[in-house]
Amino acid sequence: MIDERMEEQAGLYVLGVLTPEETRAFEATLQRDAGLQQLVAALRDSRDALAGSLPQVTPPPALKKKILAQIDAQEKVTALPATAQRSENQVIWLPWALAACLAIFCLISLSQQKALRQKNDDQAKRLASLDQMAESLRNETQDLKQKVASLQETNRLAGLRIAMLNSMLADSPKAVAVSLWDNQQQRGVFVVQNLKPLPVDRDYQLWVIDPQYSAPVSAGVFQVDAQGNMRLQFKTDRLIESANKFAVTMEPKGGLPVPTLKELVLMGG
Amino acid sequence: MLAFDGMSEPALNFERDVELLRRIADRDRSAFSDFYDQYSGLLFSIALKVLNDSKEAEDVLQEVFMQIWNKADAYDQLLGKPVSWAVTLTRNKAIDRIRASQRRSRLLEQATAEAVLPEDSPSANERLHGKENAEMVRSVVAALPSDQRRAIELAFFSGLTQDEIAKTLQEPLGTIKARIRRGMLKLREKLEGFI
Repeated sequence: MIDERMEEQAGLYVLGVLTPEETRAFEATLQRDAGLQQLVAALRDSRDALAGSLPQVTPPPALKKKILAQIDAQEKVTALPATAQRSENQVIWLPWALAACLAIFCLISLSQQKALRQKNDDQAKRLASLDQMAESLRNETQDLKQKVASLQETNRLAGLRIAMLNSMLADSPKAVAVSLWDNQQQRGVFVVQNLKPLPVDRDYQLWVIDPQYSAPVSAGVFQVDAQGNMRLQFKTDRLIESANKFAVTMEPKGGLPVPTLKELVLMGG
Repeated sequence: MLAFDGMSEPALNFERDVELLRRIADRDRSAFSDFYDQYSGLLFSIALKVLNDSKEAEDVLQEVFMQIWNKADAYDQLLGKPVSWAVTLTRNKAIDRIRASQRRSRLLEQATAEAVLPEDSPSANERLHGKENAEMVRSVVAALPSDQRRAIELAFFSGLTQDEIAKTLQEPLGTIKARIRRGMLKLREKLEGFI
């Protein structure tokens, strides 16, 4: 027969609110009392049913994986010491074990040295490879520089003014000239053929005709060789914005600031 | 309530759970997985009810199941059914955690609020004992006089001592003990044969 006090203690026991001393005393009684054991079992069921009536919240699925992973990790660790069982003859084998350990240590050291050498070789190869790559990059950079220079040249040529000058003289119909003018550089090249040589007191004078000026701009004087040919690099006295036309006149030795235009020899644009 | 071979469903569950624990003690991972699937919802709900913090409840659940894995061979039927053992482990670990985290004042505040069970939420009992039995358990719990139910819930879920429960409910300690006794016996009487 279980009295009210023990029923009370049983209820508090299954709910976990007995003090440690009360718990020890109650469990001592519980061990000897089958009736009390039955009551406690029934009260536990009631308690579990009360807990089970809580709204159920499912734990996140990842938690189960986490727990199983922890179990797997733990099992791997606990499986290791199984082979480490001691024998009574262990002391006898201790020197041999130490020697074996030393041998293993040496083997490991050799292995590590070999691995280090291998690593050094690999790094040397890698450095050589990087050098090759750097050289290749340098070559590519040089090529690119050349391409850029070429493009700049192309661009510069695109800014060139090229003019063909034809003869204005009836007695020298085959006389012809080409003038190349680089407006950016403000300089040009003039090439002429089949122009008759002049007396020593006379010069041919090259002119650049720019619309911004009322008069042609002088580009210098020249003489032709016996075959009537000449190649001249020239600059102008004034800044040229647009070289519309080129002309050659015969002028007194040394040339004039403005052309007389009485003896126009070549003209074109 | 009888299932087959003359054994009631609770008795069948008991036999199954004891066998699961025996296999877990033999490091049977699939048995552990089955036990987890069966009771993780119930145990998590308890931890959550005590701690009111899902992250801490997860930590408690992990500790509990690791203990089940490592100590399944220490399970003694005198400690109750396997599920009772797991419920006790969970509740005690959650209470230890709440006491260790110095949350007494917060805990007292929570305890003073009236616990209300949502009527529409499915419970762990539904999974463990079926919808019909779960409804019955719910109605029995709901039918408890509120002062008894309140004292029982504070005792089990709050981590308060007997004196603290008495102080919280502003009743003499003897009254609290008597309420708990009457409430627990009433639950046993009404639920006998269903769980």
